[in-house]
Amino acid sequence: MDSFTAITLAVFLPFILAGILPVVEKVLKNRIGWYAAAVALLSLILVAQVAPTVIHGENIQGSIPWIPSVGIDLSFYGDGLSIMFGLIVSGIGVIIMAYSNGYMSKREDLPRYYQQLLFFMGSMLGMVFSANLIQLFIFWELTSITSFMLIGYWRNRPMSVYGATKSLLVTATGGLFMLAGFLLLNAMTGTFDIPTILHSESMIEFIKDHELFIFALILILIGAASKSAQGPFYIWLPNAMEAPTPVSAFLHSATMVKAGIYLVARIHPMFSGTDAWFILVSGVGIITMLVAGFLAFRQTDIKGILAYSTISQLAYLMTMYGYTTHIHPGIGVAAATFHLLNHATFKASLFLVAGIVAHETATRDITKMGGLRKEMPITFILATIGALAMAGIPPLNGFLSKELFYEASWEMGAELGGAFTFVIPALAVLGGVFTFAYSIKLIDGIFLGKRPSRGLPEHIHDPGWTMILPTAFLALLIILFGLVPSIPAHYIIEPATEAILLEPVDLHVSLWHGLTPSLAMTIVTFILGLLIYTRYDSIAAWQNRFNSKHPMISVNYFYDAAVNNAKSTTFGFSSRMQPGTIKTYVTALLLLMIVLFIIPIIVLTPDIIPSTLNFDIQAYEGIVYLFMIVAALGAALLPRYLPAIVSLSGLGYLVGLLFIYLQAPDLALTQVLVETLTTIIFLLAIVKIPQKFREHITPSVMTRDLLIASAVALTVFIMMINATQGIVPPFESLSHYFIEKSIPLAGGHNMVNVVLVDFRAYDTLGEIAVLCLAALGVYNLIHSRGEEE
Amino acid sequence: MNNTLLSLTIAILFGIGTFLILRRDIVKVIIGLSIISHAVNMLIVSSGVFAGTKPPIITDDGGHGASETTGTIFTDVLSENILAPITTAGHSVNYVDPLVQALVLTAIVISLATTAFILILAYRIYEEYGTTDIKELRRLWG
Repeated sequence: MDSFTAITLAVFLPFILAGILPVVEKVLKNRIGWYAAAVALLSLILVAQVAPTVIHGENIQGSIPWIPSVGIDLSFYGDGLSIMFGLIVSGIGVIIMAYSNGYMSKREDLPRYYQQLLFFMGSMLGMVFSANLIQLFIFWELTSITSFMLIGYWRNRPMSVYGATKSLLVTATGGLFMLAGFLLLNAMTGTFDIPTILHSESMIEFIKDHELFIFALILILIGAASKSAQGPFYIWLPNAMEAPTPVSAFLHSATMVKAGIYLVARIHPMFSGTDAWFILVSGVGIITMLVAGFLAFRQTDIKGILAYSTISQLAYLMTMYGYTTHIHPGIGVAAATFHLLNHATFKASLFLVAGIVAHETATRDITKMGGLRKEMPITFILATIGALAMAGIPPLNGFLSKELFYEASWEMGAELGGAFTFVIPALAVLGGVFTFAYSIKLIDGIFLGKRPSRGLPEHIHDPGWTMILPTAFLALLIILFGLVPSIPAHYIIEPATEAILLEPVDLHVSLWHGLTPSLAMTIVTFILGLLIYTRYDSIAAWQNRFNSKHPMISVNYFYDAAVNNAKSTTFGFSSRMQPGTIKTYVTALLLLMIVLFIIPIIVLTPDIIPSTLNFDIQAYEGIVYLFMIVAALGAALLPRYLPAIVSLSGLGYLVGLLFIYLQAPDLALTQVLVETLTTIIFLLAIVKIPQKFREHITPSVMTRDLLIASAVALTVFIMMINATQGIVPPFESLSHYFIEKSIPLAGGHNMVNVVLVDFRAYDTLGEIAVLCLAALGVYNLIHSRGEEE
Repeated sequence: MNNTLLSLTIAILFGIGTFLILRRDIVKVIIGLSIISHAVNMLIVSSGVFAGTKPPIITDDGGHGASETTGTIFTDVLSENILAPITTAGHSVNYVDPLVQALVLTAIVISLATTAFILILAYRIYEEYGTTDIKELRRLWG
């Protein structure tokens, strides 16, 4: 199997195998999660199998024609960056699906849950391996949609629905901005193919000098920021915590929220090295990092703390990708990429711990917890590893990437000079201090201190191995990456960094590299972090007071106002447009019809009433016409249903008679048969509807309706008598074709039949489909009645 | 069929159907729809018929016989400059237009389906709400 096939399979197998999941569920029942984990493992193996090729510096590329006319193919591209994301997505996927076996209750709708998780995984893999901007956009929006469904997994909880809607509105709207940015990129380069742009220096030069550059950059960054919860778009992520915890661990910490980071890394060669890049990416990054880190203090929900922490940590990554304009790009990008990998491990493990704690204590409120270390020793150890890694304590992996971040910030400050020499490192340290404080809070609040006397279940214990093992595996990775950083650095980070920078990178990461400024910054972080931690609760209390005093200083305030107003506005609009009475709709429709018919007649014909009217008819025709009018009047005026329907049926047979006269034997036959059937159905239905209601038509209503009816009749009449009066059609009738080809092509003498079953057989197929649907509809209407009784 | 009286008949049926559609009783509305669909079918079919034409069934003399080309179906004189999109134009045949008949045949069958469906719908509405008055239903739905 070549590498391209392997990647294609890794992307599409989750979709296909998720499709048959309901069938597998019949066999496996509650153990369906292991099937899902096996599917994720399959993708992981497929991605891992191509990794060596990429590590040796050979990128994977291939495509299958999709929409060749506009240059869009189904094409995949695997470089170091894609492979790293591919490994994270499928690897964490395996862990999450395995963990879910313990977390999700047997009573839950497991097939839906796992199906959506697998759909998400496939979409995410498709996105990171996309070689085509349009394809990337499609997979990008697919991840938004699956995220929406998973956040709203508990459909009957209002907060779930709120969170799901919010995430979809923010991320999908951001995605549309991104699409606009891609189109601008296409306008500049003439291609949607990512590798083509990446590997053409002249194209990249051209982009950077182009007047559309700044617009494309801003649009794409809006997409990235909305997905990665940066800047004002962060608001959706805290509400996304309504999802089941494994989903939060998977989508909203380890993978999907990193899609924006992926995008920034992906477009790095095209847009970086400019001032706009630095200001937008690093500027938004630093602000988000500080604000989100600070806001984490007032969260009492464990997952809420983790959500704000995720926002803040993602902002680290953004900041570092933005640095490359001014400092030697290697450090910032490598630091960001390394931290990205580390964050996936420790944040996912912390979410899994949060899941365990919530699962065992039935609450996620940190203020109600404490002293659980004795009852849940294993969970305590795992949580400590994760939290300390997040805080940046050696020898865990978070320490290493945090050091690199400090180093990059220090150099950045030195590069910019002036006040920035200290401001930028100080801001970086401040971000680290917040991180340190809430990391400690997680351990202290849940596991240390005294067990509260009320609010917790009596017996709390470590969960089963299905939840412990996946978490432990992540903890193991945290320690491993920390102690032997050369393994991830060499096999994952270097290829990924090379893919971002498009030049060879030699990365050396070690626990100890002398007395450097970054070490000093780390030590300052720890000291300040401990100091701030002693004031943790009063800071949180101050935040709460501030928030209740100034409710308008909040992005959510504006989001809620906008969404609620949109709801009431559209509701008002639609209730005015659709008052619900058939009469209004019909009147509007008929009046529009009159206008649309009368205008061309007035414009096109010399006289509205043509001079050559033909009143020349046979006596029997006149009788048929007369009877038709009488029958229609009878159907309209007879007060009781039954006589009216008999009269209507008479009209139908007269129409059949008229068809014979109009040289349409087939129609006459059909009309008679159908009329018979219609009459039977009418009678069957009508005997069941007693005639209780009899409309009293007031004179004013009568006048109005008669006016409308006469206007319609007059319009139809004028249209018909003008139809053959010299209004020349702009094209020739295609009926010739049927007359000429009926025998040679279809071998039929009856042209109507030939048209129906041969030349326009698809129409007939559609007609049969309508009949089937109507039959199904009738059946269901009758059937639904049986259920209620 | 450029016959004014037929046009008038169809127009009157349209008017009656329209009046019925504007009623408050669902059953009356359905009857109105039926009448309108009859009228539309006749309108379309009559537009394909011209004086002196034959039913659209090809007989052995093919309709191409010179003695029978008393009338042409199509006003093809316009084809002096515009070429027919599909076939060569300008040769006279005396069949009525088969295409409109095929379309109307489909329409007749489909109107059977829709009539059956809305009838059952009306029946179910009556069962659920005990009335066929649209205004009353509107009030009940809130």
